[in-house]
Amino acid sequence: MAEKKKRRRTDPSDSDQQHLPFKNSLKSDEIILQTLKDLCSSSSSDGAAGTLTLSDLALASTCREVADLSLSSVQSAIETLILRLTHSILSGQGFSFSVPSRSSANQLYVPELDRIVLKDKSSVRPFANVSTVRKSAVTTRILQLIHQLCIKNIHVTKRDLFYTDVKLFQDQTQSDSVLDDVSCMLGCTRSSLNVIASEKGVVVGRLIFSDNGDMIDCTKMGMGGKAIPPNIDRVGDMQSDALFILLVEKDAAYIRLAEDRFYNRFPCIIVTAKGQPDVATRLFLRKMKTELKLPVLALVDSDPYGLKILSVYGCGSKNMSYDSANLTTPDIKWLGIRPSDLDKYNIPEQCRLPMTEQDIKTGKDLLEEDFVKKNPGWVEELNLMVKTKQKAEIQALSSFGFQYLSEVYLPLKLQQQDWL
Amino acid sequence: METGGSSESPIEPKKTKSKTARKPKENLLKQKSPAEFFAENKNIAGFDNPGKSLYTTVRELVENSLDSAESISELPEVEITIEEIGKSKFNSMIGLVDRERIDEELYDDFETAKAREKRLAKEARTQELHAKNAALGKKVKEPQASKGMKGRGEASFYRVTCKDNGRGMPHDDIPNMFGRVLSGTKYGLKQTRGKFGLGAKMALIWSKMSTGLPIEISSSMKGQSYISFCRLDIDIHRNIPHIHLHEKRDNKERWRGAEIQVVIEGNWTTYRSKILHYMRQMAVITPYAQFLFKFVSDTSDKNVTIRFARRTDIMPPVPIETKYHPSAVDLLLIKRLISETSRENLLQFLQHEFVNIGKSYAERLIGEMGPDFSPKMAVKSLTSQQIVRIHQLFRQAKFDDPSGDCLSPAGEYNLRLGIIKELHPDMVATYSGSAQVFEGHPFMVEAGVSIGGKDVKQGLNIFRFANRIPLLFEQGADVVTRTALKRINWNSYKINQAQDKIGVFVSIVSTKIPFKGTGKEYIGDDISEIASAVKSSIQQCCIQLKSKIVKKIQARVQQERKRNLSKYIPDATGAIYDVLREMAQLHASKKKRYEDEDADVLRKVSTHSITKQTLSEKLARHVEQVDYEMALEYATQSGVSEEPREAIYLQSLEDGKNFIDFHSPVFAFRLYQ
Repeated sequence: MAEKKKRRRTDPSDSDQQHLPFKNSLKSDEIILQTLKDLCSSSSSDGAAGTLTLSDLALASTCREVADLSLSSVQSAIETLILRLTHSILSGQGFSFSVPSRSSANQLYVPELDRIVLKDKSSVRPFANVSTVRKSAVTTRILQLIHQLCIKNIHVTKRDLFYTDVKLFQDQTQSDSVLDDVSCMLGCTRSSLNVIASEKGVVVGRLIFSDNGDMIDCTKMGMGGKAIPPNIDRVGDMQSDALFILLVEKDAAYIRLAEDRFYNRFPCIIVTAKGQPDVATRLFLRKMKTELKLPVLALVDSDPYGLKILSVYGCGSKNMSYDSANLTTPDIKWLGIRPSDLDKYNIPEQCRLPMTEQDIKTGKDLLEEDFVKKNPGWVEELNLMVKTKQKAEIQALSSFGFQYLSEVYLPLKLQQQDWL
Repeated sequence: METGGSSESPIEPKKTKSKTARKPKENLLKQKSPAEFFAENKNIAGFDNPGKSLYTTVRELVENSLDSAESISELPEVEITIEEIGKSKFNSMIGLVDRERIDEELYDDFETAKAREKRLAKEARTQELHAKNAALGKKVKEPQASKGMKGRGEASFYRVTCKDNGRGMPHDDIPNMFGRVLSGTKYGLKQTRGKFGLGAKMALIWSKMSTGLPIEISSSMKGQSYISFCRLDIDIHRNIPHIHLHEKRDNKERWRGAEIQVVIEGNWTTYRSKILHYMRQMAVITPYAQFLFKFVSDTSDKNVTIRFARRTDIMPPVPIETKYHPSAVDLLLIKRLISETSRENLLQFLQHEFVNIGKSYAERLIGEMGPDFSPKMAVKSLTSQQIVRIHQLFRQAKFDDPSGDCLSPAGEYNLRLGIIKELHPDMVATYSGSAQVFEGHPFMVEAGVSIGGKDVKQGLNIFRFANRIPLLFEQGADVVTRTALKRINWNSYKINQAQDKIGVFVSIVSTKIPFKGTGKEYIGDDISEIASAVKSSIQQCCIQLKSKIVKKIQARVQQERKRNLSKYIPDATGAIYDVLREMAQLHASKKKRYEDEDADVLRKVSTHSITKQTLSEKLARHVEQVDYEMALEYATQSGVSEEPREAIYLQSLEDGKNFIDFHSPVFAFRLYQ
């Protein structure tokens, strides 16, 4: 509150007005808080409706979806598979895997679910074929390693897994992609394979949860916040008095908000995955959303990739579409920075960047995507971006001062309920 | 060149001699003979320095020999010998007595005491370093034998001899052919190697400048019972030959051809590779010629003898002299054509002195020229204004493009043979474009692309030819280099620009090659017609190569399939067996139950009747079977047809000429009678 008073006092000074345009249009924090409370209550009532599943839509037969499986069932799934291979080899047939295809042709956006799901096409991966021999050898090796993890009941990182047989895997992208194949094949989530990715996402703000039995208070985690734990099954007991979740694309903006303790002025939880979100962050966001029933507002760059990241949180990535049910967080609002904001907030020319050919192409491709089309507001914004051929990062707002983002831009956006 | 002063003095007025010996020289109007001009600007003709001069001399003589043999449709045989002449030998040749140095300090290469100290210190340092390296067991290059101190005065001299089996020269013309700059037989509008009548004369001028020794020519023409021998040099100031000896000698062996011998200053060490490259590339573009290249010196380990054997006896047709295209002439040229023509009236003149003007078209042109022109008017009576009008119309009117019939490209067949002969590539593709036009002159681009071969470095190796002459200098700015480097996407033809040994051969022929710069060393990149023709020709070659490369890759996949598959057997079976063993343990300890067949397998695993070895063997057998099936399938698909083999050329022992040749750029057909 002390800070707020100080801010009000400095309000009338001329110089401040020049530096922070639109500050005058800010109403008092109480009014903004009221709008947020409205948003929060409407969001929690929405959530009560319950979520649809594939079987509800009678798509279960044509679409593939994985579930969390217990360690022992993963183990027996692997054993059954291995026995099948053994029989096949002993009968002189060689062996082959039937791997669900994760190519973009095998993806389907289901508007009712608002996420991407995997169709049921799969490809055969025989050992005795030059083009697939490597992959099938890698697949058997990964199966064996996971079998060991199951027996010993331990977790390893993707990196660990890669290093157990560097000579065969050659580089980590190969073992990672086979790992996804394996979880598809066994019909379980990647977390059930006991393989985790290293920590990438961070969270700060009005959130208390337990991580492997320890209670964590995210308001007392310093400036950097708490790293999002890679295995979500050890996270629980979430409590919060926040009114919304703020999803931030970039680390820089996250640090700004964390340092300014934005969550104290407007009670919120701030999350970032520092770019493309990893599985852990997506699982964590989904857990927060479903358990706390808070609205999610996203702050991303005003470029095609910002929207793409937003879509990965919202509808899932194509790579992991087999597990989209667990990974996606429905109903994320696009708060900023939107192409229309560039003119609305008079962001100076020197802070806007011209879009490259590649950017424009990505933008046009996005316009064809179903998850964009379902939201007319997004289509409008994206059209504007492609038309003006300009993009801007969140940091462009720093041209009005480093704290413009937390002092003026976000409060004003919230006050105007300017989200899509 | 200061010796010229004596010959100039008679012209100089006597009276000025005493008073103004220096001043009037500036005001005096002097005239320069062409020979003087080229002596002073010898870099224009490629005589920049002794090394380059040696190279250019070889080049000019070889090219003259080829032109000469080709002009009588004889398969060229050229022998070129470079003989190094030591200083004392040279002195004895010119009748100079070797003198010992008396005043050592007078010389440029005299080593002062200070310099000597410095050198010794440096030598000691390198020796120390060397000893240290040797002690550490490192392999180091032997320190270079300290180069013999070579000062300015220490020039090396070479006798260059070029012998051919060409047409030879008429006895009486020989002095003028060598002793008069800018006189020649190749001035017409025709595709020739030489153009300006400069080459052999420049060699003579250079020999006169550097050694003062005359040139020696032996020549005999067909049916002549004698050999013309001529020893001459050139009077540079008057641009006339200065004959020492001109006589007819016996020709017992009925020899025909020419032999030219000239002694010049040169530099073999620095231009050795250039000269050898030149010979090699010449052999590529003229596979129907036989070259014998010899370098002889006192130290026998430096000697080089290379024979570039004949690979075919198909020669490109002799280029035909053609007439000018109306769009390629200027005012001066029109005036010259008018003064030289034997045609009476304007209509005939237009119709017969230019290509692509037919009778009716000539009439239309004359009608367009204006009322003071008529078809029947005498062509010699045209005024300057009228000639300007004709020129204007020539520039504006539309004419058909000149045909490429007058050109004599190397021919795809010959280019291909040349590449195979000299580079022994793994793969080669050639392409011959159709004639195109630049500024009224037809040109034709032929290209070859080779992959692999001996003595070829990794990456792009570019071989450029203009009118069937290799171009070696100024490669960077040349249209061919730029096109190959920047405008060809080698990757799309499955060619790795950095790793593969790529040979790019482009031969451009034209009645007028648009060379850039003073030396005829490169063709600029600014002529879009030529640039696009070069690009498409190279691309055509690449397209041909691509299918071959793809086939080769497929064949390699065939060969390596079994190896690639077998490589992963241990990984796969190892992983499977590990899981089986774990399961067998679980089964044995009754932690987990398995049914029927599975239990059977696991029991066998625990009793070691199924081991990793068993699995590997089974899998290996399967791989073998699959490989066999695939190989069969591949064989049925591709058939047994192999690449057509290149026919080898055998030189005929007897010259039985009872056949007729039908030539085409891509093949030759021989009909025996």
